[in-house]
Amino acid sequence: MKSNPVGKAASAAAAAIILFVMTGCSGGGGGAASSGDAASVVVETSFDLKTIDPARQFEPTGSMLDHALYESLLTFKGGDVSKPTDGLASFKLSDGDKVMTLTMKDGATFSDGSPVTVDDAVFSLQRVQGIAGNPSFMLKDVKIEKTADKTLTLTSPRPNPALAFILPNPSLGIVNSKVVKENGGTTDKDDKAEAFLNKTSAGSGSYTLSSYDANSQVVLEASPKYHGTAPAKKRVVVRNVAGETQALNIQSGESQVALDLNPDQVKQLDKSAVNVLTEPSTDTVYLMMNQSPAISAWTSNADFNTAVKFGLDYGKILALAGDGAARPGGVVPSEFLGALPTEKGLQFDFAAAKKSLAASGYNGEEVVLSYPNDITLDGLQMQPFAETIQSQLKAVGINLKLAPGPEATELDNYRAGNEQMGLWTWGADYPDPSDYLVYLPGQNLGLRAVWKEGANSEIDSLGAKAVAASGDAARSTAYQDLQIALNERGPFVSLFQPVKNLVTVKSIESAAANPLWLIDIENIK
Amino acid sequence: MVASDEVMSSTLSVADPGESGRGSSLPDVPRTRRYIHPLLRYILIRIGLGVVLVFGVTLVTFSLTNLVPGDPVQAVLGEQASANPEIVKQFRADMGLDKPPPVQYAIYIGNLLQGNLGVSAQTKTPVASDLAVAFPATVELAVAAIVVSIFIGIGLGMWGALRRGRMTDHVIRIVSLVGISIPTFWLALVVYYVFFFKLHALPGSGRLSPITVPPPNVTGLYTIDSLIAGQWKTAMDALGHLIMPASVLALFTIGLLTRFARSSVLEVLNMDYVRAARAKGLPSRAVVMRYVLRGALVPIITVIGISFGSLLSGAVLTEEVFSWHGIGQYAYNGATHLDLPVVMGVGLIVGVIYILVNLIVDVIYGFIDPRVRNP
Repeated sequence: MKSNPVGKAASAAAAAIILFVMTGCSGGGGGAASSGDAASVVVETSFDLKTIDPARQFEPTGSMLDHALYESLLTFKGGDVSKPTDGLASFKLSDGDKVMTLTMKDGATFSDGSPVTVDDAVFSLQRVQGIAGNPSFMLKDVKIEKTADKTLTLTSPRPNPALAFILPNPSLGIVNSKVVKENGGTTDKDDKAEAFLNKTSAGSGSYTLSSYDANSQVVLEASPKYHGTAPAKKRVVVRNVAGETQALNIQSGESQVALDLNPDQVKQLDKSAVNVLTEPSTDTVYLMMNQSPAISAWTSNADFNTAVKFGLDYGKILALAGDGAARPGGVVPSEFLGALPTEKGLQFDFAAAKKSLAASGYNGEEVVLSYPNDITLDGLQMQPFAETIQSQLKAVGINLKLAPGPEATELDNYRAGNEQMGLWTWGADYPDPSDYLVYLPGQNLGLRAVWKEGANSEIDSLGAKAVAASGDAARSTAYQDLQIALNERGPFVSLFQPVKNLVTVKSIESAAANPLWLIDIENIK
Repeated sequence: MVASDEVMSSTLSVADPGESGRGSSLPDVPRTRRYIHPLLRYILIRIGLGVVLVFGVTLVTFSLTNLVPGDPVQAVLGEQASANPEIVKQFRADMGLDKPPPVQYAIYIGNLLQGNLGVSAQTKTPVASDLAVAFPATVELAVAAIVVSIFIGIGLGMWGALRRGRMTDHVIRIVSLVGISIPTFWLALVVYYVFFFKLHALPGSGRLSPITVPPPNVTGLYTIDSLIAGQWKTAMDALGHLIMPASVLALFTIGLLTRFARSSVLEVLNMDYVRAARAKGLPSRAVVMRYVLRGALVPIITVIGISFGSLLSGAVLTEEVFSWHGIGQYAYNGATHLDLPVVMGVGLIVGVIYILVNLIVDVIYGFIDPRVRNP
């Protein structure tokens, strides 16, 4: 066996593989070589994409894309969501904030060159209502009417100052009604235009849809008939990439924008290669305690609730969320009107926690804390926070049992009001404090804690005052009063707002993050 | 030679149908059974069993997905919409979940027979369309990985066996052990970090560079489609993007094949017919390639079949690191969002893959070992 045919075969195989690698290298172009040209930009994010039909989408990735494809009647400039500005229309509120009159601007055209009309606006908004999809709640009970060739009115049964903050939402983007109707679009549940709109955009935005794959990649091309200033980037490739890979790609120049890096990943970036824009996210993380004695005798106990609220070391929890994270004093995020300053919020007081726990009669019984363990919020997982809460409350004398689970199964349990304690998140639907009325008794989140309508008359009354308040100053005061009462007597504990990092390569001169649409693609320069 | 002889003798043993009609002493027993080649009959039986198995797979998948303690409608709806009973009711009806499970299953099977796998609740596109994109991506990766694995794994295994007890054998055994033991997710990150990020030796994530436009779709395999379209640059780009994920996946299979090939060859090396071949003075190359390798192939092919089936079922973590949107990622997203049509569709595809791979392996057995087709 001096001659070794297998050895020769193995050598030949190795040579073939080396050749394969070499051809691949020469053909593929490694690393920085594949970064694209000045007229195009590659944006990487972890997709949560389900659709880009504006009337149906309600996820961050879909909002980012639709903001580039469709224009709304009102909008926000850059990342400032404190003041709605004119979009396709100008607006005026009247009749105690119940009636909004919108006047369409001249000169706006869709990507096919046809003008944007008031009929398109009415159709688009009525379609959102009629489809009854995820975003339809934003226009619930709002009557939409064309009142003249260039005006429409939105009439609410109650004062609705939030409407000006709702209309910039990309879900309320204006579609070309003629094109959408031709492709099955209606303003009721029979609408069949989604498949068409996932292949072809029908908006007046600065970009048009070139290709769409909800699993991997979406490509946008600058609209040749855009009526505004042409965007700097002619082609935008938005790719579905995991956070760890995004961090390597952005530093190598494979991509130019990364949207999902957590604080730890940002710390490790080579700052000579990238710019990092850090600001608190408008997502909030909170703790819920079920108010039903049938679910838990302890989480429904007021003194036990107080012990939990005093027993948490909020500063340490915030530090765990990383640099740039924020802690609002109440449930409204710190950037929004009506936010409660941190110092007016709940504070750690170990002695007070022990005293309240003693008053509750609690004697070390097991209380279950549930949370989703397969999702990340702005790059953060819930597990370390659940463990920290368990540890801090153990010091007080509370025996928490952690019960992580997949979001798909936990969500069902939580929404059905079956969890004893829950660690969950709330993302802003629109940047107005009225979006946080869901924490009140009998409302969406209130019911998940089995905090039923009428459970606390004082909070009900403060909630009604907040709804009725008019003018920024009065609304801000009313919402702050409401949150102080919620902190004292509610079943929720607002913990923190994670940090949102927008990372760009140095060649990107400007890019603006926005809580509603992640990044303004049109203004990437 | 043996296989050919067997086939010939089987063919000659069949009587002329006309002859039986003219001179048969049993005219009341008509000869209605046609001659079917044993191998063909074997394949047809396996295909028939495969169809039954596919329906079994649909039933098991459907039952399991219905046992998951979660509501698919809640997984699709946003926070606000989920609080509206009217919207919940409509989504439930749209997703066909308002009917009893047996009716849902009957509808699914009815649609399946028409080639309709349902619509994904996540992507809002037909599952068949999604699979038509995701599956070729996985096939491209799996084929590249298995081809590399076969050459290297069998080569190293045989080499180790022929050099049993020597340094080469020890090194090969360590290498195979390392290949099996290294966590794929970790390896994928390290490989990506070193070869893409640090050395810039290989292209980054995805199936093509971001600026490269995919070739016109024919097979869904970018390497093949770009060659068909004459887009050489795109073909090389696609090839380059295959290297890292395929190598990461191949390492485990190489380790596995090396171990199986080594032990299988060692077993055959001591067989009488191999000793006889050597005693007759046949060259080493002929003994190894014609006698040893052929004799050792049956267990090796079994492992290749299982490994290939596993690769075709998707590799979630490797696909995640390399942004390779194949069937593994698709299945994972479907499962985490309780997207039942996706879970059912992927379950069905994976079931069919294993049935087909096993069928092919069995047919190859038939070619290699006549005892299989003529028991």
